Amino acid sequence: MDIAQLQAYGYFIMTAGLAIGLYAYIYHLYSKRKDADGVDYENYSNMALRDDVTDTPVNDASSDKKK
Amino acid sequence: MNKNGPLEYDYSVSKLFIMNALFVGAIGMLVGVIIAWQMAYPGLNTFLGDGLAEYTNFSRLRPLHTDSVIYGFVLSAVWATWYYVGQRVLKVSMAESKTLMLIGKLHFWIYFVSASLIVTSLLLGWTTSKEYAEFEWPIDLAITVIWLLWGASIAGLVGFRREKSLYISIWYYIATFLAIAMLHLFNNMEIPTILATSPAGETMVGAWWHSVSMYAGTNDALVQWWFGHNAVAFVFTTPIIAMIYYFLPKESGQAIYSYKLSLLSFWGLMFVYLWAGGHHLLYSTVPDWMQTMGSVFSIVLILPSWGSAINMLLTMKGEWQQVASSPLIKFMVLGSTFYMFSTLEGPIQAIKSVNAIAHFTDWIVGHVHDGVLGWVGFIVIAAIYHMSPRIFRREIYSRSLMNTQFWIQTLGVVLYFTSMWIAGITQGMMWRAHDEFGNLAYSFIDTVTVLHPYYTIRAVGGTLYLIGFLMFIYNIYKTTSARRVEEDELQNASPMGA
Amino acid sequence: MFHWLEKHPFFFALSVFVAIAFAGLVEIIPSFAQASRPLVGTTPYSTLELSGRQIYIKNSCNACHSQLIRPFKSETDRYGHYSLSGEYAYDRPFLWGSKRTGPDLMRVGNYRTTDWHENHMKDPASVVPGSIMPKYTWLYTNEADIETAYAEQLTVAQFFSVPYNTPIPMKDGSSKVIKMADSIAEANADALDEAKVIVADMKDQSIKDAVANGKIPEIVAIIAYMNSLK
Repeated sequence: MDIAQLQAYGYFIMTAGLAIGLYAYIYHLYSKRKDADGVDYENYSNMALRDDVTDTPVNDASSDKKK
Repeated sequence: MNKNGPLEYDYSVSKLFIMNALFVGAIGMLVGVIIAWQMAYPGLNTFLGDGLAEYTNFSRLRPLHTDSVIYGFVLSAVWATWYYVGQRVLKVSMAESKTLMLIGKLHFWIYFVSASLIVTSLLLGWTTSKEYAEFEWPIDLAITVIWLLWGASIAGLVGFRREKSLYISIWYYIATFLAIAMLHLFNNMEIPTILATSPAGETMVGAWWHSVSMYAGTNDALVQWWFGHNAVAFVFTTPIIAMIYYFLPKESGQAIYSYKLSLLSFWGLMFVYLWAGGHHLLYSTVPDWMQTMGSVFSIVLILPSWGSAINMLLTMKGEWQQVASSPLIKFMVLGSTFYMFSTLEGPIQAIKSVNAIAHFTDWIVGHVHDGVLGWVGFIVIAAIYHMSPRIFRREIYSRSLMNTQFWIQTLGVVLYFTSMWIAGITQGMMWRAHDEFGNLAYSFIDTVTVLHPYYTIRAVGGTLYLIGFLMFIYNIYKTTSARRVEEDELQNASPMGA
Repeated sequence: MFHWLEKHPFFFALSVFVAIAFAGLVEIIPSFAQASRPLVGTTPYSTLELSGRQIYIKNSCNACHSQLIRPFKSETDRYGHYSLSGEYAYDRPFLWGSKRTGPDLMRVGNYRTTDWHENHMKDPASVVPGSIMPKYTWLYTNEADIETAYAEQLTVAQFFSVPYNTPIPMKDGSSKVIKMADSIAEANADALDEAKVIVADMKDQSIKDAVANGKIPEIVAIIAYMNSLK
């Protein structure tokens, strides 16, 4: 197998893999709506809207450690 | 910061970058305006007299224009917003860590010094000739250090964050960091010529700063346009999207229309963008399949680009009256519209048969400028207008000045790209025209002289844009001494004076 | 899995990197395995030509002039045979350019003379009425940097095995040797010999005098480079 063939196979497999990955992601986003922490994806917009240093985070980084 | 006071965001690094963006932006645009007039009136190549002709002539100034607006103006603005948005959406203050603050300050000052070296070296003609990567090896090393410092600052702020999830803007900043790092390293692989030894044993021969590219001919072209195209992507697109995804929702008080769509467009853009570089090399000597790939992926690129653009515009859903009332929102909405326009125009130019006419002409220059003046410039201006009241705790000096600036600059952009379209297509068609006997219909100079009116209109457009930019600087300068505002006035819409 | 990525910045960054590095991996790296081979008859640049090439780069001539002839009738009629990959094998960096404010220069050596360039660079509009090219008057007073050109020859010979001082096959079956000097002094002497050939066709007395006195003005070097583009 020469380099051009390797290149072609590599390209095909990677592209197919990434395309499947992307569609799986779309499916995941729109079927689950919420992520594993139970936060609706759309709520993440609030990270920009409520961004004062005293505001409560949408998903507190310290919550993991407390668990 | 008062140690006993409440925790506050610290914008001192951001402020430095804003000042630099304003300063270098004005210089870069001024140089652009000068070279635009030089193309219309070549006598201006010696506008400082024959003695300085070497340093005032078009070909020396052109790289200075491109590099100062890309790496001086836009990158400064990107970093100004990074040190602003980064803190806010991660809910970490730079004041909380002395190390982070030191990294930020170092980042700025090393960048500032390197920028002055770049200006000097380009005027002296120290260049590798590669577009947007003209710098010789010592400066390339300095850029690497600057980039690593930015990386350290990203890692630092993300590491200390209170918000567990990363906001979409942060995704785009991280992508910018990674992509430019990769592109910079690979495109600037070069061997300094002082490393060679002559057969007679002489070392350090010739100019110490000179280097030779690691790649030759077609390979060099391939790497350069993989770089050139994607440097545009990751300086003019991804960090600007990062900005608008923060500043538009914040200024308008509206949540992003669809956060999910923003995530999808992100991954789409990441995967597709890097392939499109081949469209700069259509009909050249690079392998055909790469050229075709460049064309095809350029068309596919419309999808993720429009995904982001539509998402931005729809964020204003139900709140369109804000476009009429706030000049700041006007800049962002028109900027997004120019983004849609530019990301449609690019793929059209990447179609092989269109490219046969468009390549090497002013249409390409026009395309670049509707993107950078309309999209990048407007979003950067809006971002700085939004940040200034929060950084200085004062209202924006004048709303009417902002409005005037908006219309002057919009007129400038429109004159710019319409004249360049006509110029480009005219020239492309004249180059290929044959008479009834199959001979070339025009000599080359015919295709140059015919462009004079368009070059003049373009220079007028550029001048208008520069005038608007100077009004912008004046407005920001006056903002630093305008009416003080309270915290609650800064929640969403920026406070503005008459 | 996606959710996990979004909350682990390091792995997130890693996957972004994979997505963006993929194109380069597939497109660029394999084509380097087949490094571009010179076309028969393509030779490396002589010292003076290389110095001229550096002056071309120093003045960003490539900002307005391409060196890439596309395979269209209108282009081959105007500029000559379309470009072939192997012709660029010794071009570091490549100088294809991205804009033709002025005409392509890939084969300018075929149809322009030393005399033409001499007048044109001094005052383009006097040779081509209506030209918007600036006057390059400083090329007539600045001295060419032969040492750096020599350093570049040494570098490409040592690091990229560019065949100097070895016979290179030509199209007609003969072979040609492009010389690289053994020392700086010899390089200067060689460049001066080349310059004398160019200057014999030039009219400007001050340039002739300079070369007679052992100096090489930039204009002589850049004309040597222009003439080598065929």
